[in-house]
Amino acid sequence: MNKTEEEKELLLRQLKESLDANPDDPSLHFDLGVCLWEKAESKETAAEHFVKAVKLNPQNAAAFRYLGHYYSGVSVDTQRALKCYQRAISLIPDDSDSGDALCDLLEQRGKGSLEVAVCREAAVKSPKAFWAFRRIGFLQLNQCKWSEAVQSLQHAIRGYHNSPQLWEALGLAYQRLGMFTAAIKSYGRAIELDDTSIYALIESGNIFLMLGSFRKGIEQFQLALKISPQNISARSGLASAQLGLSKECINLGAFRWGASLLEDAREVAKANTCLYGNMSCVWKLHGDIQLTYAKCFPWMEENHSLKFDVDTFNTSILSWKRTCLMAAVSAKSSYQRALHLAPWQANIYIDIAITSDLMSSLNESYEHHLGVWKLSEKMALGALLLEGDNYDYWVALGCFSDHNALKQHALIRGLQLDVSLAVAWAYLGKLYRQEDEKKIARQAFDSARSIDPSLALPWAGMSADTHARDPSLDEAFESCLRAAQILPLAEFQIGLAMLSQHSGHLSSSQVFGAIQQAIQRAPYYPESHNMYGLVCEARFDYQAAVASYRLARCAIKSSADTIPKSLFQDVSINLARSLSRAGNSLEAVRECEDLKKEGMLNAEGLQLYAFSLWQLGRHDLALSVAKNLAASLESSSAAASVSFICRLLYNISGLDSAINSILKMPKALFQSSKMSFIVSAFHALDKSNRLESVVSSSRSTLASPEEITGMHYLVALSKLVKNGSESYLGFDSGIFHLRKILHIYPNSNLIRNLLGHLLLSSDKLKYTHVASRSCRIETSNVTRKEGLKSAWEILGAGGVACNVIGSIDMKFSFPTCSYECLNGPKSVQELQKCLRREPWNHNVRYLLILNLLQKAREERFPKHLCIILERLIIMAISSESYSKQHMSYQYQKFQLLLCASEISLQVGNIIGCIKHAENASALLLPDGYLFFGHLMLCRAYAAEGNTRKLQEEYVRCLELKAEYHIGWICLKIMESQYELADSNILESNFMEFLKERKNSMDYWMAIFSLVMGLFSIWNKDLLSAEKCLAQACSLAGSESCLLLCHGTICMEIARQCHASQFLSIAVRSLTKSQETYLVHLPIVSILLAQAEGSLLSKEKWEKNLRQEWFTWPPEMRPAELFFQMHLLAMQSKVGLDYSSRVESCQSPQKWVLRAIHTNPSCLRYWKGLHKLVELA
Amino acid sequence: MKLAGLKSTENAHDESVWAATWVPATDNRPALLLTGSLDETVKLWRADELDLERTNTGHCLGVVSVAAHPSGVIAASASLDSFVRVFDVDTNASIATLEAPPSEVWQMQFDPKGTTLAVAGGGSASVKLWDTATWKLIASLSIPRPEGPKPSDKSNSKKFVLSVAWSPDGRRLACGSMDGTISVFDVARAKFMHHLEGHSMPVRSLVYSPIDARVLFSASDDTHVHMYDAEGKSLVGAMSGHTSWVLSVDVSPDGAAIATGSSDRTVRLWDLSMRAAVQTMSNHTDQVWGVSFRPVGCNGNRGGRLASVSDDKSISLYGYS
Repeated sequence: MNKTEEEKELLLRQLKESLDANPDDPSLHFDLGVCLWEKAESKETAAEHFVKAVKLNPQNAAAFRYLGHYYSGVSVDTQRALKCYQRAISLIPDDSDSGDALCDLLEQRGKGSLEVAVCREAAVKSPKAFWAFRRIGFLQLNQCKWSEAVQSLQHAIRGYHNSPQLWEALGLAYQRLGMFTAAIKSYGRAIELDDTSIYALIESGNIFLMLGSFRKGIEQFQLALKISPQNISARSGLASAQLGLSKECINLGAFRWGASLLEDAREVAKANTCLYGNMSCVWKLHGDIQLTYAKCFPWMEENHSLKFDVDTFNTSILSWKRTCLMAAVSAKSSYQRALHLAPWQANIYIDIAITSDLMSSLNESYEHHLGVWKLSEKMALGALLLEGDNYDYWVALGCFSDHNALKQHALIRGLQLDVSLAVAWAYLGKLYRQEDEKKIARQAFDSARSIDPSLALPWAGMSADTHARDPSLDEAFESCLRAAQILPLAEFQIGLAMLSQHSGHLSSSQVFGAIQQAIQRAPYYPESHNMYGLVCEARFDYQAAVASYRLARCAIKSSADTIPKSLFQDVSINLARSLSRAGNSLEAVRECEDLKKEGMLNAEGLQLYAFSLWQLGRHDLALSVAKNLAASLESSSAAASVSFICRLLYNISGLDSAINSILKMPKALFQSSKMSFIVSAFHALDKSNRLESVVSSSRSTLASPEEITGMHYLVALSKLVKNGSESYLGFDSGIFHLRKILHIYPNSNLIRNLLGHLLLSSDKLKYTHVASRSCRIETSNVTRKEGLKSAWEILGAGGVACNVIGSIDMKFSFPTCSYECLNGPKSVQELQKCLRREPWNHNVRYLLILNLLQKAREERFPKHLCIILERLIIMAISSESYSKQHMSYQYQKFQLLLCASEISLQVGNIIGCIKHAENASALLLPDGYLFFGHLMLCRAYAAEGNTRKLQEEYVRCLELKAEYHIGWICLKIMESQYELADSNILESNFMEFLKERKNSMDYWMAIFSLVMGLFSIWNKDLLSAEKCLAQACSLAGSESCLLLCHGTICMEIARQCHASQFLSIAVRSLTKSQETYLVHLPIVSILLAQAEGSLLSKEKWEKNLRQEWFTWPPEMRPAELFFQMHLLAMQSKVGLDYSSRVESCQSPQKWVLRAIHTNPSCLRYWKGLHKLVELA
Repeated sequence: MKLAGLKSTENAHDESVWAATWVPATDNRPALLLTGSLDETVKLWRADELDLERTNTGHCLGVVSVAAHPSGVIAASASLDSFVRVFDVDTNASIATLEAPPSEVWQMQFDPKGTTLAVAGGGSASVKLWDTATWKLIASLSIPRPEGPKPSDKSNSKKFVLSVAWSPDGRRLACGSMDGTISVFDVARAKFMHHLEGHSMPVRSLVYSPIDARVLFSASDDTHVHMYDAEGKSLVGAMSGHTSWVLSVDVSPDGAAIATGSSDRTVRLWDLSMRAAVQTMSNHTDQVWGVSFRPVGCNGNRGGRLASVSDDKSISLYGYS
């Protein structure tokens, strides 16, 4: 500091010296002046130097500025100061110091117009004179010239972009111009620059309120209150933002949320009234909040465990009403204070009118007439006296008035003032409806709706006309739903529930939500509880339904006389029904007995009574009640009662009694679809067809396709029962019937699924293949289960029903199944889709595992599939559902364990394999199933080489006896491969088994012969093998595999024994094999070619060899085939040129090379090559 | 000249007390204090202990104004729903129920002779005069409307009449409006005479000086108390000191002082000779809606009394000397 002082001194001295030397230098004078100016005591001398500087150089604006400061601050000579500043500005218009000082001086002297002129001049002279723009902007703001102010302020902000005041001013200008988003941005910038800018916070909060974003508004006001906790604007803003937000909540139906917001708002508003008690609007805001609170405060069931006695219910209702009333009273007095402070404000009269109207609705005894007018009417008139041209007030008067003529007059007055006043139209419609002028009412509602579709009342009004059958029930429901969604009013909501009861929407969530809200606002109204109960019942929540029916009864009892008896009866019957549905038959019976005492037990009640008695096991009483019911039959509800009686009879006294009573009843009773189903079901079970005539007459009532297909479903099932034997269902007749029906109703999933199910269940091989084709997987309605099995179950089961999964890829196998069921990969995918939709469904997982195992088997157990399967199986077995003891679960578990065991065997984990198989065999299942467990064990021990155990398991298998052919065959293979025992026992067992199951006996005999033939081959006994195979071929003539085997054996015999007669047999078999199947098996043709070649038929040799080429998939062609092709190519080379033939596409040498390339270890090919090379 | 607090009754009413006036003494009882409140009741109090004499119910909304007949036998109370109930002070028997259109009853005053009840007509921009013998409407003194394009223009709410005052000789009637103007009527000819200008905000209370029929005091929301020469159409004096609206003014029986009640929660006593506040009572915790001096009675009044009523539900009684 000292140093700088010294420096300054030094500078001063230097300047003085140079000035002495050069007295006419204006810049030296100026510099010296500046130096001296900084010292408080030497301002006078500084001014002298500035004067000199100016005299010498009149262009020195800075000097003029200093002089201006001097004249305005030190020696007060305003006139001179003004002149100096003016000079400075005219020299440099950007000089904000001089500009502001000049303008301040002018303003002090009240020369506003001069100030403007100075600013404008500067602004014109230089666009960088931001100070001038700022001043102009503020002035324009002052004069309410908003759009001009925006321009000036925007310009000024370019110079002072960090000035919060300017941003605030710009925000204000935008706000007044109605450009609210721009205003919010400007205010936001001001707040950014200065976060204590309360004005910007409040104003942006107000804009948010105006735009309806209350949450943001609340934020702004809370920030403002942090800065200034007593600020009335911020507090009022906060309270009204909370009020707005709560109204939003209430309109959504979130009463509790709204109420809690209002409680906060009330606090804020109350505090405001304490501080600013003489402001009418503060009281009005408090009144608004309290009024809204009174309108939204929800009733809550305080304690669910309370025992539904009328007293507790009453006290709970009363305390709720009291809370509402207190809020209304407080609102009323707040409004009165507001009115007392500003009696000329018409809207407060309306507020008081609304409040007193609400109070009289809450408290019937409240109203005491002093004159002819109701208070609410009178206050509405007060508002109209002050502002007669306000149509809203007219509508309000129309609402409050009791006199229809006055109502109509007021509403029409409102419409005269504004013809597009939707509310007035709506109320007019309501009025006309009450006066039973339906047509005009409708017109009024229609015009209201077309003017403002977001008004609830006309929608509700439209839906109320249902009994006139003009709008359909669904339409009415939609209208009412809209009304209730726009405005969650208890009346609308109860109406909605009532409509939904008739239109079948009772279980929809909209209705559920609506009726819950209705209870919160109209708990004293029995119908709301009753409807809530019905809704809960429709949603299968019987406990809640019971509770609310009980509340409904409390409500009826507490409101005594005004409620008709029939409602009590309805509620009680509902209660009894819910109780019985909830499984509480005892209580239900008690309810019914109570009703009986009162003599209010109608048909439905009697049904319930009988049903509950039956559930309790009091059959005699149930039957006697049913008799009562039968005696009291009326035609209207007859169907339900009759069907109930029939079913009850069947359940209590059996089929015969039920049929007898049906025969006794008049036929006319059965003329309905429901009855038809019941009678048909009885008919199906009845072997003696006593109901034939009843059934045929009742079926004529079925009309809709759904009903008809349902009946056919039933008919198909009945055919199963009737055409089957004791232990075996008549699948064929059922399938036949369903096929016929499917032609008529090709779209019925019900029929399709049943057909698929029956096809799978029947033991005809052919059928299992088409089963999966009969059903259709539709993703759209997967949730609905139709019939006994769903489509994917049939598909999954069909996938494993055939040994051929049908991989399109021929890499792995050559399918020989003649039924072409190529749905394997599809079923795996579909099952995966199902599993993704329903990850909890163990059935899907089970079927998927089986299908995957099938696939793995076909692909020779590739590693990745084995790993996937292992993991899937572990997960599936660990599922809880397999701990259940039911057969079907145990069977699935058994299958899964076998799968796991198989996989273990395939990956070489023999210990795991044995463990799984042992687990499987230990399950409690019929012997026929367990057989396979032990068979698996046989295989495992065989693989392990444990002969002793193998023998044991083999014996066990023989004891258990297989239920399926394949089991026997497998066992036979095991037996002969490991020479386990005398084959006769097994063979005789198998024959016995075959005789039991006549179906496809030949087929299985053929397979057995094949196995026998194979053994003979292993034993090198070719001739007996040929015999066996010939037998097999004769039994199952169309199996190409068998024919191939037979042909091969014959050729081998011909080769070994040089017996040429076998050669022709081979040719016959192979030709047959070639012809039988659509997809040609490989090897057949090459063998045939060889045979034909040996028979010296070169042409056939060529043809067959060529055919062989195409039977192989390209990547799997063996070396021998290439070599043979080389021979073929050589032939064609010698003969004619058939360039189009496959063998001629490359030279013989190349063919041989390819053969060597594929299998380089074969000497024959090398020799062939050698020969070719030599030839060349 | 000073005020001395005598008695203050908290929670005199269940809600804000909005109006107060003294019922003059009759032969068999002293003067009583009559108060009206937002709780829809009117109560009668006996000085100096402020013992509750009676509670009158019957109004549907808050009581905005009470008036006492000079004879002290009858009184009137008016509520926000514009019913005026006239009742016998001693028996509470209803004498008449005057019904006006809503918003058209505010301050009321009986004329000095007791033949007419003047009612400030609010939104009707007029003063209604009721005959106290027949309880029929005898005249309606309207404030002439400034020329407007439409008769039902909103401008009539500017002339919303809030307050009314009779001159002590009963020849003049003044009424104060929401826009701050005061209108003076010639009662005998039922004719509007002139406006008194000066206030910029609603005039909620008016009172003529008891000793000089020309002098009119007015209290306004613009925080000022004015003193007019009502005949000479001129503002004689203005007194300021309240920091918020002046809601009520009353002049002492001797005409030497006025008392005012204000939204700033104070009661002030003004010395007219000094034209300044000489005393400020701040015992109320909310705005003071009414102040009233007890009229000089015949039978043994022990000095002047001033009562004030407030939004804080309390009534205060002061000795004035």
